[in-house]
Amino acid sequence: MIFREVEDRDLIAQARRGHVDAYNVLVSRWEKRVFNYLLRMVRNREDAMDLSQDVFLKAYQNLRKLEDPAKFAGWLFRIAHNEAYSLLRKNRPEGEIAGELKSGESSSRMFPIELNLAVQSALGRLSDDQREAVLLKVYQGFKFEEMAEILSCPVSTVKSRLYTALDLLKQTLAAVNVGGTE
Amino acid sequence: MNCSTVDLKAYFLGEVARAEKSSVEDHVRACQSCREELDRLKLTDTALRSLVDEDAPQRIAFVSDKVFEPRWYRSIWRSGPAMGFASAALLAAAIFAHGFSPNGYARPAAAATVNTAQMEQRIEREVNLRLDAAAVRQSQQMANLLDAAELRYESKRQADLAGVQQAARYYKDQTARLMMAANKQETPGQ
Repeated sequence: MIFREVEDRDLIAQARRGHVDAYNVLVSRWEKRVFNYLLRMVRNREDAMDLSQDVFLKAYQNLRKLEDPAKFAGWLFRIAHNEAYSLLRKNRPEGEIAGELKSGESSSRMFPIELNLAVQSALGRLSDDQREAVLLKVYQGFKFEEMAEILSCPVSTVKSRLYTALDLLKQTLAAVNVGGTE
Repeated sequence: MNCSTVDLKAYFLGEVARAEKSSVEDHVRACQSCREELDRLKLTDTALRSLVDEDAPQRIAFVSDKVFEPRWYRSIWRSGPAMGFASAALLAAAIFAHGFSPNGYARPAAAATVNTAQMEQRIEREVNLRLDAAAVRQSQQMANLLDAAELRYESKRQADLAGVQQAARYYKDQTARLMMAANKQETPGQ
């Protein structure tokens, strides 16, 4: 992990000096994580792809503004967060609730593909803020403090969003037998 | 430490300080409701992590293509002093060429045409490569979708078959019962 951080820092330094190849390596290293974060935020493959492009373009344009290269991940996801929210705000009127999973829709035994759908649907029932908190913590492994920086809010708000989301997910996914057996 | 002071979710998410960790663990060992809550959190986490990361449908195009890389003349263009020097050198070369040219002007260089043609070839090659890669990716995605659809269709077919068999058994029983009833009605009259 330490080596990885050093490598990212080194790549950032090279990219700042105009080495495009170094930035290419950074893109290939982070594109999957950024794409999946955006995909689960905006829930549309094409939008997620377009936003990913924008995120890496903006990151490149502003790379010199990144004060601490060790915080590249948080900084990159801050850009991704801004991009995702600007699209969500544009596409969806305030307060609209995302696609609901009807009660009883999940069964006690599921194929992996059905489990996948159930999880996607459960995530879709959360508010954008709650879903993002889950994505950043569970899937991206950020610490509370890092999340607070990405989301520009206090740690207490991060915890509140995440805890509420976990309680809702617990209820929604309670019927899902994760092992796929009865 | 009691249930109200234990931040079980923070513990589960690895956000509890090392010093506090052991006291949370002691409490969880002694408290059944917290143990159950922790189990529910683990189940939820396992379900969430079953969601597999997808590959991006295409590589991020920005600067990943060699053809989009800045060329030497662009870096000169971006650099102010170098650009000034290059302009001066170009002007000097033009005056020098003009002095020795029999027609009084320099003929346009063929190199520019060659460079454009080379660039077009490179772009075409890159586009073809990308199209091929996209075709492979699409056929793979299609195969995955077909597999998933086949799986669903098979389970639906099995369910339908079981339903049909059940209905057939029901109608067979009903027919037998009606036949017996009809036979019974005929018998007293004979």
